[in-house]
Amino acid sequence: MKTYVLQRLVIALLTLLGMSMVIFTLLRLAPGDIVDILFSTAGYVSPSEKQAIMKELGIDRPYWVQYLDWIRQMLTGDLGKSYRYDQPAWQIIRPLVPVTIELAALSTLFAVLIGVPTGVISAVRQDTTLDYLLRVFSLAGLSMPAFWLGMVIILGLVTWFAWIPPLSYVSPTQDLKLHAVQFLLPALAVGYRSSALIMRITRSSLLEVMREDYIRTAWAKGQTGRVVIWRHALKNALLPVVTVIGIEFAFLIGGLVVTETVFNLPGVARFLVQAILWRDYPIVQNLVMFIAIVVILCNLLVDMLYGVLDPRVRYGG
Amino acid sequence: MSRVRLAFLSITILALAAMVLAPAPSQSQTPKSGGVLNMMLREDLSQGFSIHETSTISTVWPAMPCFNNLVLFDPLKKTESAETVIGELAEKWSWQDNYRNLVFFLRKGVKWHDGQPFTSKDVKFTFDMLREAPDAPAKLRINPRKDWYSNIEAVETPDQYTAVFRLKRPQPSLLLMLASGYTPVYAAHVPPADYRSNCVGTGPFKVKEWRKGEYVEFVKNPDYFVKGRPYLDGLKYFVILERGTRQAAIQAGKLDVSFPGETSKTAAEQLKKAVPQLVITPFSQNVADNIIMNMKKPPFDNLKVRLAVSHAIDRRALIQAVQQGGAVVGAGLAPKPWGFWGLAEKDLVGLPGYGSKPADEKAVAKKLMAEVGFTPQKPLKVEIVTRAIAVYVDMASFVINELKQVGIEATLKQIETAQWHATATRGDYQIGANLTGVGPDDPDANYYENYACGSPRNYSFYCNEQVMKMFDAQSQELDPKKRLALNAAIQKKLEADAARPILDWKLDYFTVWPHVKNLIPHQSIYNFGRMQEVWSDK
Repeated sequence: MKTYVLQRLVIALLTLLGMSMVIFTLLRLAPGDIVDILFSTAGYVSPSEKQAIMKELGIDRPYWVQYLDWIRQMLTGDLGKSYRYDQPAWQIIRPLVPVTIELAALSTLFAVLIGVPTGVISAVRQDTTLDYLLRVFSLAGLSMPAFWLGMVIILGLVTWFAWIPPLSYVSPTQDLKLHAVQFLLPALAVGYRSSALIMRITRSSLLEVMREDYIRTAWAKGQTGRVVIWRHALKNALLPVVTVIGIEFAFLIGGLVVTETVFNLPGVARFLVQAILWRDYPIVQNLVMFIAIVVILCNLLVDMLYGVLDPRVRYGG
Repeated sequence: MSRVRLAFLSITILALAAMVLAPAPSQSQTPKSGGVLNMMLREDLSQGFSIHETSTISTVWPAMPCFNNLVLFDPLKKTESAETVIGELAEKWSWQDNYRNLVFFLRKGVKWHDGQPFTSKDVKFTFDMLREAPDAPAKLRINPRKDWYSNIEAVETPDQYTAVFRLKRPQPSLLLMLASGYTPVYAAHVPPADYRSNCVGTGPFKVKEWRKGEYVEFVKNPDYFVKGRPYLDGLKYFVILERGTRQAAIQAGKLDVSFPGETSKTAAEQLKKAVPQLVITPFSQNVADNIIMNMKKPPFDNLKVRLAVSHAIDRRALIQAVQQGGAVVGAGLAPKPWGFWGLAEKDLVGLPGYGSKPADEKAVAKKLMAEVGFTPQKPLKVEIVTRAIAVYVDMASFVINELKQVGIEATLKQIETAQWHATATRGDYQIGANLTGVGPDDPDANYYENYACGSPRNYSFYCNEQVMKMFDAQSQELDPKKRLALNAAIQKKLEADAARPILDWKLDYFTVWPHVKNLIPHQSIYNFGRMQEVWSDK
């Protein structure tokens, strides 16, 4: 087990190294840079002034020097300075991270709480009216983009209650109730979409397991439906579900752009898009690396969970 | 009279009536102190509070409350002119030597937000930096309005509370540029770069917190030099990137004020329907839709082709189709009553593209194109560039359709914001659909920036020595009537040369809740954000 984890960590480091090269290169391939944007806000471009600013920001240096400098900074825990805000990147990134993690975690929680039970019910009541209704419910979730649902929620609230959630982040220590309201609505909008996927995977996986011999044996032994389904069938059907949950959570860390924008939540994804538009390389590079680390850790965690859920899974060592 | 024209006139009359009948500014009510005003921003402050390094309302609007100018357009008056300029850091001022010297007598006892005293040293520091004087103690990273101050020969400070601007030639309108929201005085003891992250001003509000990408919050400056001001305890500007959320926030009452230039006519109508008590005031953004044509390259180095383009575009139809009636026709300067200097509609008749019959205009355009060898059957093929933002693309799409009817087949190329100004400044284009915003409604600010030979924002590279002389002549003219007449002639000449054909002047439908008092939109979005006189009747 220990060796397996170590192997995975080494692979993760190599993946991150590859990612860093891809991010760095792609950013430089995009047309324009921060200096063009700065001049854009002034409405003109002066080549000599542009050169001076490029020098000031260090983006006139050869790419390989800039890349190595970034890697060196990361290894020493220094994430560089935001070009746009002229402040340490970490100072800017730090408050964004908990917002996104909380929203992604809450959304995933909603997705699991809605998706798994409805998937189980749908499988157990296969081809009944309830199954059809739940499948329509899940299909609707998959068809509705979270940002659209978010906007509908906002417009519904303003039309019927003349109220919308807070416009800036409210911390739990500031006002727990308002904090909860601020996160519950976007989490529901995002969670509903994810729950649809989880519901469908749970249903199909459970239906497959229910046809296994050991389930038939359990029924034959006279065990109750609850024991057969929840103890024997569901546990074995959960492997693909856990995989999907892990992937969904990881996806949400970087994929909440529009939801964060619609609900005006100052999270990682919303800020990342702004930083990309501004070609604020230190912010973009470090935020993307953060997302990559979360994705890798999620995958690792899911792999570890396989062993817990299915004792037949053994890690080589 | 065509139906389109009739509709346009009706809308104009209705808009004017709405302005006249709108409740007068609440000067008659006794202002109350206290309260915090919640406002919106469409994007985060682009270069912090460094107004001098940007040309965007996204910086000026939220940064203005921190600063003071020497002079400012009276926040309580809608019209901006030399008559509505009031003193801020300058207690009074005096033109001397036949408008060659402008002497400012500064207020005493004014303090910067960090407690340092304000003196004439700060004035000299700011304007030497802006005009890039050889011995300037500091330099801006980007200096977009250097041309505004090119006529200042020296800034002298005979004592701590007097500053003298010595001009190369008379320029009465310098005062108007000094009264713009774009002209705050910086502190000499603060490096200009620091304004990108913090604000040390003398203004009515001090920065409390700037949470990047989220909000900027101001608190009342207790040491403000105007006794009893500001009325409000604070201001909070929320960054809301999504337009639908911004509109929902104002509708729900989470925000008290819309963003200048944000509310279209259609959006205003929707808001008014949802919340009838909202106060909506139409006013000029001082932003014009226009066509830029690269005169350094064929085919637009040919006046006939440029004129054909100008004749082909039906301005009134564009206003109805693209702006949903939320704009007005005009030439180089915003027309009355929205602006002060622009040509009235009757004066536009006869200029390319302003004829009452669009079919006749198109016939002239076709004739001009035929003279240079192009017809609808054998069209001139060009690429029209525009910024990849909806307001630009909608306008460009309309223009493409108009040009097609006269033998110009244009394809649209959208350019990302990061590349737009670089493309225009370098002249890497043939023809473009553009928007131009002007700080104060004054000819000098507009002409020298957008039409003068060698100006980096003269994207068409129009350069006419005779017209340059006309610019200087109107700039030096002391008689207001004569200056107005000179400006009428200049605008006609610019349109006749198709220097940068103006398509329309955009209107904004500024929206506030009724408890917001004394926040009066001017004839330019850039000059009324000080918030010193604003109070809340909540």
